[in-house]
Amino acid sequence: MDLTDEQRRLQESAIAFARQALNYDVVAADAAEEFNRDAWRQCAEFGVLGMPIPQEFGGLGLGLSSLLAVMEGLGYGTRDQGLLFSLNAHLWTNSIPILMYGSEAQRRTYLPGLCNGSLIGANAASEPDAGSDIFSLRTRAVRDGDAYVLNGTKMFVTNAPVADLIVAYATIDPALGPTGITAFIIERATAGVIVGRKLHKMGLRTSPMAEVIFENCRVPAGQRLGREGRGVEVFECSMEWERGCILASCLGVMRRQLEECIRHARERKQFGRPIGKNQSVANRIVDMKVRIETCRSLVYRIGTLKERNQEAMLDAAMAKLHVSQCFVQSGLDAIQIYGGYGYMTEQQVERDLRDAVGSSLYSGTSEIQRNIIARALGL
Amino acid sequence: MTDVKATIRQFILATYLPGESPANLRDDMPLRTSGVLDSLATLGLVSFVEREFGIELDAYETGVESFDRIDDIVALVERKRAAQ
Repeated sequence: MDLTDEQRRLQESAIAFARQALNYDVVAADAAEEFNRDAWRQCAEFGVLGMPIPQEFGGLGLGLSSLLAVMEGLGYGTRDQGLLFSLNAHLWTNSIPILMYGSEAQRRTYLPGLCNGSLIGANAASEPDAGSDIFSLRTRAVRDGDAYVLNGTKMFVTNAPVADLIVAYATIDPALGPTGITAFIIERATAGVIVGRKLHKMGLRTSPMAEVIFENCRVPAGQRLGREGRGVEVFECSMEWERGCILASCLGVMRRQLEECIRHARERKQFGRPIGKNQSVANRIVDMKVRIETCRSLVYRIGTLKERNQEAMLDAAMAKLHVSQCFVQSGLDAIQIYGGYGYMTEQQVERDLRDAVGSSLYSGTSEIQRNIIARALGL
Repeated sequence: MTDVKATIRQFILATYLPGESPANLRDDMPLRTSGVLDSLATLGLVSFVEREFGIELDAYETGVESFDRIDDIVALVERKRAAQ
């Protein structure tokens, strides 16, 4: 898939920005599980947070293919994948649902801040007993006059420790099943919102994550996002965008890994010759290259479909499944090519693999993506 | 006048039961509780019914009591249209 001249220019600009502004001591930040607020602010100034949002709400109004090109560039240019993961969560599970399902008042109230970096968004859907089976969630929203009172616990909430705004999902009646699930926009400062213990992860450690507890949390009815009982539609919309787009930055990481592995294979000598002359090493690098090209087609196809206002659920699931598998394999290959150095944190090769493993889990596990694809095939 | 039942049956067969014999889709079959329609399919059917028949269903009208069997869904649609 070839980028247009404009998309190439945007991508190169993103790479230059990421190299200049987003390459602090990520080894230390990863070890400390430290979210970089200054980097977030700089991303906002660069325009990342407003890319898919129309200009009337403070965004840049970029087409999705251009946005994917920028995200690929950021993935290529920065080593802080945790930061990019937080950006993605903010964009696809908070800004986009508000844009697509919010009232005019909600869009005007929140989208400018979400675009300019003054508001950090989070998404509270998963629960301790509702992960892949997300629609069995139990957080309850009881209507009380002009408000809803929420009670329940959410798990794995990316950005929760730093979020200002949470899109949360609750059921108005468990007996209704999926047609009772309703979405809400909840400001962090709302009484009854408790951000619980920070969760420590294998990878993406610079992206903060925590539990969120709603305890008699009174949410004005005007904060409901979309219609009562139509939260599944809101959730699926955000997942379609997230599944298709979150892996664009992974394309950039895989490209960087490939280039670094080629360089290493040419420079590192063992037994008197570059290790790249060994077929076992060269073949791994060949496979990395082939994987990247197959992934690129799948990811950019999402952009094409969404720009044509076409259904992309199946393609997003296929992209998520395949790209995440390739991302993990590329991480494994890179470590093997670097040998012992690949295992050391200082080289930053091992962190790419730790970050990549999460891609087979977030936005729906690989197993769930297979279920989606199977259903679309009529199985 | 649109045949509500035929329209709903055709949508379900084409969208969720491709290749299935229409005779196997009984009007009194519990579509959701039997597993024919999962969560997303249920929401899809709700959206289709609203769009196709120009009605708006609130959350409590889409519970299994009134939105599980074709006969019940048809009755709901006709009730809503009559009230408009």
